[in-house]
Amino acid sequence: MRSSDVLGYSFSAIRLRKMRAGLTTLGVAIGIAAIVALLSFTAGLQVTMTDQFEEGFGSDTLTVSSGGGIFDMLGGGSGDSDFSLLLNDTDAINSIEHVESTVATMTKTIQANFSGNVVPASLSGINFTAYTSMYTTFIAEVGSIPESPNDTDVIIGSLIANPWDNGTIIAEVGDEVSIVWTGRVNGSIVQTNYTGTVVAILEEIGGFGFGPSDMGFYIPIDWAVKFFDTDEIASITVKMDTEEQDEIDALIEEIEDLFEGLVTVTQPAALLGMMEDMLGILNIFLAGIAGISLIVAGVGIMNIMIVSLIERTREIGILKGMGMHGRTVLGIFLSEAMMIGFLGGIFGIVAGVFMGNLIGGITSNLGDSGIMPPGSPANIPPITPIFSFELLTFAIVFGVGVAVIFGLYPAWRASKLKPVDALRFE
Amino acid sequence: MTATLEYTMESEDFIPKVIEIKNLTKLYMMGEVPVAALRGVSLSVNKGEFIAVIGPSGSGKSTLLNMIGALDRPTSGTVLVNGTDISTLTDNQLADLRQSVGFVYQTFNLISRLDAIGNVELPLSIAGVRKKLRRSKAEVMLKIVGLGDRIHHKPSELSGGERQRVAVARALVNNPAFIIMDEPTGNLDTKTGLEIMEFAKKLNREQGITLIIVTHDLEIGSQARRTIRLRDGQIESDEVNY
Repeated sequence: MRSSDVLGYSFSAIRLRKMRAGLTTLGVAIGIAAIVALLSFTAGLQVTMTDQFEEGFGSDTLTVSSGGGIFDMLGGGSGDSDFSLLLNDTDAINSIEHVESTVATMTKTIQANFSGNVVPASLSGINFTAYTSMYTTFIAEVGSIPESPNDTDVIIGSLIANPWDNGTIIAEVGDEVSIVWTGRVNGSIVQTNYTGTVVAILEEIGGFGFGPSDMGFYIPIDWAVKFFDTDEIASITVKMDTEEQDEIDALIEEIEDLFEGLVTVTQPAALLGMMEDMLGILNIFLAGIAGISLIVAGVGIMNIMIVSLIERTREIGILKGMGMHGRTVLGIFLSEAMMIGFLGGIFGIVAGVFMGNLIGGITSNLGDSGIMPPGSPANIPPITPIFSFELLTFAIVFGVGVAVIFGLYPAWRASKLKPVDALRFE
Repeated sequence: MTATLEYTMESEDFIPKVIEIKNLTKLYMMGEVPVAALRGVSLSVNKGEFIAVIGPSGSGKSTLLNMIGALDRPTSGTVLVNGTDISTLTDNQLADLRQSVGFVYQTFNLISRLDAIGNVELPLSIAGVRKKLRRSKAEVMLKIVGLGDRIHHKPSELSGGERQRVAVARALVNNPAFIIMDEPTGNLDTKTGLEIMEFAKKLNREQGITLIIVTHDLEIGSQARRTIRLRDGQIESDEVNY
């Protein structure tokens, strides 16, 4: 029998039981739609996060901090300590091989008062010039970053100036800002303040990371040392002149030895890799969940095909009686399963593309919808689901594959029926 | 056959072939107990014969028919169909052999979702004949059985006699070596049954098609030129009617 005739015959059998075939196809379509929607979304998420990380981190930098580093921030870190990095520690680091430059960052939490609008902010004391050369995202959108700044010069992130991202501007270049810091100096609690002038507002950065942030508030490091009356700093960012992981590892070890293991050296690029690994696991996990629904659909296919086999035993007997080979019977049943899988795959892809875009749309609109609190919207970048050719091909192949695998047993049983027995079947 | 047919049956389309059976036995297992359905049957069928196999139920008629029709293998003895011993054939070879056998069943055994022409086309489709050729062949065959105006009717839209004629057309369409009819009139009223028998006789007389009819109806059996009586798995009598 010609394969086109086998397909035609199978199709006529499917058409006869539209409802049954339709429901089975729906089962496959739901599974495929879940796979397409989830995987396209995580693919989009991965790209978005990778972009964010690469912008926020600088791939050729290391961050040296006292204590447990970022793992302290994640909570539970023992945070050893009495040990603090000092401003002049940068000199020691600068003398190590493969260190191109360093930037020390002093971090304090302050209240910034822009003529009545009080915003809590994380203030960073930095060397403007060195920071600019370290991070490409440290660029002024309005005003300019001074090369030799005055003590009272202040640079702010876009979200400080425009906290709700809705046009309500609370700070502009040239505005004065009153900075209030409450802290402990030499054992006694003091509240000090000074008035600075906004000289630049940064371009929107988005994302998150170790580098400049939209919520940042930057003053010159020299002034920070005087104002806070300390030369203890939070972290030192190191720019490297190598991309060889061996050399980077050696450099990390050398810095750690330099401070006798009291500092943590974090390689953002390695973090990025870690994050990608985690996303990969998430991907497998989600695909697994979607895969389960497809397996359920496969069991459905097997079920209706066994019912169909029993109903059509006599028909199989007639066909074999006319000289049809067992493998042709196998082909007829398998192509029925295949058609269901293929149709389910097509419908599933259409539904999956729709669902993926829907999920993407919902997450993109979170900021505007008021679900997320003000101040955080820019940290949720729009996630565009990615429907790669590979994903769509995989979806079809997987749908057809599952259908064929689960159709194999009923088809095999049909092909093995003896014509005499099948013809006698009532 | 009329002159307006698109396809003309050629004389070689109707070349009859021979069946030769020697000492055929067939045992079935009924649970643990072997039951002999056939015990040493020998007979031969010449081309162009019209044979009725009659006998009460349980006499082994259907078993004999399954052997002749290459649907089953004998327990012992030989069955030569077209000179081929079916006991030596693989499943696929048996299937190929069945393509040259026309079967007409008591219950018609049409595929209900296919229309008349779809049913008649099936044996050709199984044999790998191209769509165009098999369509015209099937159409001719349906005209021969008098259903030229009903080719697109589903079996459910046809009467019993019409269904059986579709079945006959289906049995004939692939130029079979011979046609086996298993109680072809069993599900039909007397008048329609006689019509089918008349048609069968005409096929045998005019086209020289070898016909083997299995029946328990003595009246039907008496219309054949040769009557074989089976009882308890053996041939009781084998005589030619004049």
